[in-house]
Amino acid sequence: MPSATPSPGANAVTVQVRHAEHVMGTVVSFDVPVSARHDGSLDAAIRWLHWVDRVFSPYRADSDVSLLARAEVSVDACAPEMAEVLAACASVRDLSGGYFTAAPGGQFDPSGYVKGWAVERAAALLAGAGSADHVVNGGGDVQCAGGRGPDGSGGREPWRVGIADPLRPGRLALVVAASDCAVATSGTAERGPHIIDPHTGRPASGLASLTIVGPSLALADAYATAAFAMGPARARDWTASLEGYAAFAITGTGATWHTPGFARHIAAV
Amino acid sequence: MRRAILAVTATVAGLVALLSFKTHSSSERTVASPEPAASLPPGERAITGNVANTAYGPVQVQVVVATSKIVKVNVLEQPESTEHDLQIGQFAFPKLIGETLSAQSARIDSVSGATYTSGGYIKSLQSALDNGA
Amino acid sequence: MATAVGPRALLAAIAAGAVAVLALWWHSTLSLAGLGGWLTGAGEILGLLAGYAVVVLVLLMARIRPIERAVGADRLARWHAMGGRYVIGLISGHALAITWGYAVTAHTNPVSETATLLTTYPDVLMATVAWFLLLGVAAVSARAARRRMSYETWYYLHFYTYLAIALAFSHQFAVGAAFTGSLVARFWWSALYLVVAALVLWYRVAVPVRDFARHQFRVAGVRQESPHTVSIYVKGRYLKELAAEPGQFFRWRFLTRGLWWQSHPYSLSAVPSDELMRITVQGIGDHSAALARLRPGTRVLAEGPFGAFTPVRTGRSVLLLAGGVGITPLRAMFAALSGTVTLIYRASTWQDIVFQSELDAIAEARGATVHYVVGSRRDFGADPLSATALRRLAPGLHRMDVYLCGPPGMTGNAVTALTEAGVPRRRIHYESFEF
Repeated sequence: MPSATPSPGANAVTVQVRHAEHVMGTVVSFDVPVSARHDGSLDAAIRWLHWVDRVFSPYRADSDVSLLARAEVSVDACAPEMAEVLAACASVRDLSGGYFTAAPGGQFDPSGYVKGWAVERAAALLAGAGSADHVVNGGGDVQCAGGRGPDGSGGREPWRVGIADPLRPGRLALVVAASDCAVATSGTAERGPHIIDPHTGRPASGLASLTIVGPSLALADAYATAAFAMGPARARDWTASLEGYAAFAITGTGATWHTPGFARHIAAV
Repeated sequence: MRRAILAVTATVAGLVALLSFKTHSSSERTVASPEPAASLPPGERAITGNVANTAYGPVQVQVVVATSKIVKVNVLEQPESTEHDLQIGQFAFPKLIGETLSAQSARIDSVSGATYTSGGYIKSLQSALDNGA
Repeated sequence: MATAVGPRALLAAIAAGAVAVLALWWHSTLSLAGLGGWLTGAGEILGLLAGYAVVVLVLLMARIRPIERAVGADRLARWHAMGGRYVIGLISGHALAITWGYAVTAHTNPVSETATLLTTYPDVLMATVAWFLLLGVAAVSARAARRRMSYETWYYLHFYTYLAIALAFSHQFAVGAAFTGSLVARFWWSALYLVVAALVLWYRVAVPVRDFARHQFRVAGVRQESPHTVSIYVKGRYLKELAAEPGQFFRWRFLTRGLWWQSHPYSLSAVPSDELMRITVQGIGDHSAALARLRPGTRVLAEGPFGAFTPVRTGRSVLLLAGGVGITPLRAMFAALSGTVTLIYRASTWQDIVFQSELDAIAEARGATVHYVVGSRRDFGADPLSATALRRLAPGLHRMDVYLCGPPGMTGNAVTALTEAGVPRRRIHYESFEF
């Protein structure tokens, strides 16, 4: 449902437009300049997301993912993006010691990477058309560009992204200031324990939510999934070792921790 | 046909009479002056909003601010004329207050959390933002 | 006997109920503001009145004996028909005003508000279905539609109103502002509906079944009175308990193949004894033909007696004015009345005259006068029942009580002529057959 709100600022009033699109089994929220609505880039981003849904959804019997899972096609016969996704998944798998996998439970399903990657690409389409300030939120994983408005001294105020409190629904645990970066969260709050520890085959426990902040949403999403599956002990060390990415976690008991690089992203408690 | 016109006219006249009697008993109030609430700690300011005349009765909310942050929300006036109003007030206003302190006052633009489904989206904070809350 | 008291008392009671309903709205509403408030308030008032009015409509047709006796079945049916049109208007106004009012208050457009109401407000979808059902029943009851369908089809379609009332009931409590907050209001409203439902079940189901068992109505025999007229003799036990008065009618359901699903009102054409009643039916077509073929012993479900068209004992002379099949109840009255009685029997042809020998016998036995006015308008050259003609046929007409029964056109003209001849309106008694 689009609604237009003028962003705060003294001189140039840039009108931002919001749009919520139901796709990929979730809702992708856009906060874009109104020019994106007129120059077709918002439509292009939406079409892109629907294309990803058709090709990569494990819930469609005729998607490339389902066909590959049933070994009815080879990778070469799929869309070229499939090879790119597979390569990226393999890379994160190696980096996480196997805690991220494109085949959870033995069934081929790269959704842990695809969603973030699709949203990041959608944001890139908007940037390609000239938008410098936008936010794309794919069901809780957010890619930001630019900021929310002029900060009075020539720069732009960063976007403010709230992190949902998994233990108290409707409240926020933290607010992150994000300029040109991504915020991805894995957790149990919305859909219950759905992240499986590939090594034990059972739902990962211990953490209630884990948030990764970094440049690419595709990687942030995959890293968050992997770290969540690792459990509190391993996740802390592993996420601290990631170059350019920082983590913030909330345990099942309400305690929180974050990696050193995360501190500069915090906007308010 | 004549009877029909008579019936319609009489009904409309009756409606107007009844409704105007009830409108007479409501008053339009326009207040926006910040009232310093006497018992506030130093550094805190109370700002009282206008009385909003809703279909169910008047609603007035007061916000207590400390260093640009909302720290408290008081409901000064809420519809209390029927049991229904009281019932709704009981759960709506605490919820309103809670939400104000969590998402609204934080002035956020987006919410990151565990992935919600299409159905879960509706109840989410992100949905409130998208709908211009 | 129908006096002026019965109808006025009933109207007063209905009006008092309406005032109570408005008081309910008044009591449950604090204040209104703005267009949204006005529209919603209007919608609430219309809704409450509609919820009350449907109950009144059902009550009018519940065949409650004391009410029928005091007001008359034909008048009740007319009120029901008029009230039905008004109620459809109330309900439609209610739906539109509420939708619009809610939309204004919620700052949306009426189309999306309609969708919200239908999908998220409890029981509103059912109530909307009920609304459309009633619109359908109204469409089917319009004169243009009724001409094209059999009485039975229309009659059974009309029963969908009960379904509509049942479907719409719950939304009153679920979303009605007057009810959601008040247990007392819900209690009394439910009591109202329950009482009316009980009355309907009692008078329309229990009483006929009870009478059927007690009196054991059966066809005793059938006699062809004239080419298009047949008399049916119905025997039974303890008929005196029914206390049927001359001029009254019963609703008859003959329990035989082809007739059992129809119920028709026919007046008694003779004073009933403790064991025998007679009705006389005129008509062309399948139904009359089927009645003529009724076999003795056929069981009959007889509901009654109904009707307010009975003699008032005032000591005045009486004029009975019958047109065509209207002779039926007047034939019963003719035998039962005391004092000076004149009967004027109007028919188009001699073939249509029935009971001639009976009427002549009664007239001779008690010194009454019968005038057979037979022929078409053309034959007479003028209206044979004009004021002048009536004054000539019934001297002292302006001091008489007049009982009138016939087809609508004839009764309308007769009332005008009688009034012109000086008979005060309150002394002209008639029953309309078209219901």
